[in-house]
Amino acid sequence: MRSPARRTTWAIALSATLFLAACGGGGDEGGGEKSGDPIVVGISLPLTGDFSEPGKGVQEGYEAWAKITNDKGGLLGRQIELKILDDQSNADRVVADYEQLIGSDQVDLVVGPFSTRLVVPSARVAQEYGMLFVEPAGAAAEVFNQGFKNLFYAAPAVADDHYNHLAEHLLALPAGQRPTSVAYAAMDDPFAQGTAYGLKKKLEAGGVKTVVDEVYPPNTTDFGSIAAKIAAAKPDMVVGGSQYQDGVNLIVALQQLNYQPKLAAFSTAPTNPEFAKAIGNKTEGILSPTGYSQDAPYPSNKEFVEKFTAQFGKAPEEDQANGYTTGQVVGAAVQAAGCAEQGECQQKLIDWLHSNTVDTVVGSLKWDATGKPQGAHMIQQWIGNDIKIVLPADAKEADMVYPKPAW
Amino acid sequence: MPSGALLLQSIILGLLLGGLYALLAAGLTLYFGIMRVVMIAHSAFLILAAYLAWWTNDRLGIDPLLSMVVTVPLFFGAGVLLQRGLLSRLRPVTLTMMSVLITFAIALIIEGLLGYVFSGTQRRIQLGYGTESFNLFGARVAVVKLIAFALAAVSLAGLYVLMKRTQFGWALRATIQHPDAARLVGIDTERTAGFGFGLGLATAAVGGTALSLDTTIYPSLHWHWIGPLMAIIVVGGLGSVPGAAAAALVLGLAQSLLQIPMGATWAQTVFYVALFATLAVRPQGFFGGRLAQRF
Repeated sequence: MRSPARRTTWAIALSATLFLAACGGGGDEGGGEKSGDPIVVGISLPLTGDFSEPGKGVQEGYEAWAKITNDKGGLLGRQIELKILDDQSNADRVVADYEQLIGSDQVDLVVGPFSTRLVVPSARVAQEYGMLFVEPAGAAAEVFNQGFKNLFYAAPAVADDHYNHLAEHLLALPAGQRPTSVAYAAMDDPFAQGTAYGLKKKLEAGGVKTVVDEVYPPNTTDFGSIAAKIAAAKPDMVVGGSQYQDGVNLIVALQQLNYQPKLAAFSTAPTNPEFAKAIGNKTEGILSPTGYSQDAPYPSNKEFVEKFTAQFGKAPEEDQANGYTTGQVVGAAVQAAGCAEQGECQQKLIDWLHSNTVDTVVGSLKWDATGKPQGAHMIQQWIGNDIKIVLPADAKEADMVYPKPAW
Repeated sequence: MPSGALLLQSIILGLLLGGLYALLAAGLTLYFGIMRVVMIAHSAFLILAAYLAWWTNDRLGIDPLLSMVVTVPLFFGAGVLLQRGLLSRLRPVTLTMMSVLITFAIALIIEGLLGYVFSGTQRRIQLGYGTESFNLFGARVAVVKLIAFALAAVSLAGLYVLMKRTQFGWALRATIQHPDAARLVGIDTERTAGFGFGLGLATAAVGGTALSLDTTIYPSLHWHWIGPLMAIIVVGGLGSVPGAAAAALVLGLAQSLLQIPMGATWAQTVFYVALFATLAVRPQGFFGGRLAQRF
């Protein structure tokens, strides 16, 4: 019987041989970039495990981008070919995947995986190889304070900036109409709390008083007491840094106490397809920031929604749009720099993105030195039985209703 | 300093919440009283009942309260089967320990099945009166919370009468207090224990329905409930239903009032502080008698 130790030796020897062969092959290809060669884009995505749902969504976005671009003749006359590996939502796996894609598969470009947890380690690998790294997810602050020079977040804004359009709009109102007091209730979660506190900081700086500031743990199910505190303070406006169930429960609890604010803004929950049903259609006037809307009037969005629907038989949601946006950003850089391969070209792509603006399905994107996008989310409002874009002015489908009608 | 109106509102909310806690904890303390079983799956059954109530409303369009016509007998039957088929087969020496493991497994199975059948999407019953409320001395009382409280009060009163006034209740209490002596006077303690367990699970059917009226439900929600409920039955005195009810009201009220100065995060800890205090100062519980010996 062969011992396990010997079997391991054989396995190592075998993989070493394969690795050398792969490197040799890659070296040959890297030498001559013919215009007929496809541009290979390496991606690692969580297709199984915790993040498989959003992971598959992002994958569809990438696939739609490749197909739509290829149908128009590709980039620089070359077809796009995606090479997608499954990282099983595992941070160790994701590092190995990008090592393989860049080192042995010699892909021409890489783009990011899904979720902050996986974005940070994979961006580090890309940085080591000097590769441009545009990523569709990972909005948390820790992504941008790692000192990455090659990273770009392909979305309008990080959590803290989601409400920027609303803050600007409110502070621009004449003094008599401006809300004077606000209650904040936020889940103890970096993303949810970030949205509410981003708005809080801006409104406080503009002189709008904070009368209630509640933070609740993610496992909170009873919102009666928090709602009682808010209702007792009678603020003009209520802001919820919510995910889903907490937002719904808090809104119902506020309605039960018959509290009628002039303005109510909640993150995430109101854009959920189940939302209106969950709160019995008493949605009138509720605001929510959103990173993507099928109805947004940006030029490429119409084409994206149409062709995506034809390709997948359903309309794109935010995850799909994030993947597609990432593709658009990389594509724009490649067109401008006129190259797509490893080596010096990557720095050209990075430099171009640092100093230019890219038009995408989520609007025009530009970034600071850390790769943090400099935009804000669109603000949607429930008007009648539909959620419509009300801010910013250049994207709006309807005028913002303020003060909001009773709910 | 909180205003009088906020205090009154918080007291009302606290009492309504405490009433619901009392109903949800009643079954849990009963299982322990009857056969020293720690029933981790109790809150999973609550969520199961809540899902059945939601499903009844969503698919058949009838009031979720009507689902109890089916779920109460169904859960009673399931409880009897569970006790006779699984828990009574555990060796008495390791019963308490092993019951934790076996009911933990049941909780995981229920959670998995709920996710499989109804998906992980968070659900909420849509009621015409879901956000209705009325004025009581300046405070608002939500109709759904009042219905849940009434359900709790009626079921706990029913349970009390059953335990104190019926022959089955006497047999059950005898089984709880001293199984050997109960057998000596001719009580079929095994059958009684089975029915007692069924009774506990039947309260989960009522409790889950009450819970579903005013909560967004999802398969893993039960993990958020089992901790506070366990704390309540220890503070109330293991095995004592009135003790659990009293502890539930006090802790519900405390949680609601403490949220005013401390916020939601710290107010939640009242359950665990009370648990530690009970174990340190009065392990038999503050409202029950000697450990699990009295109803």
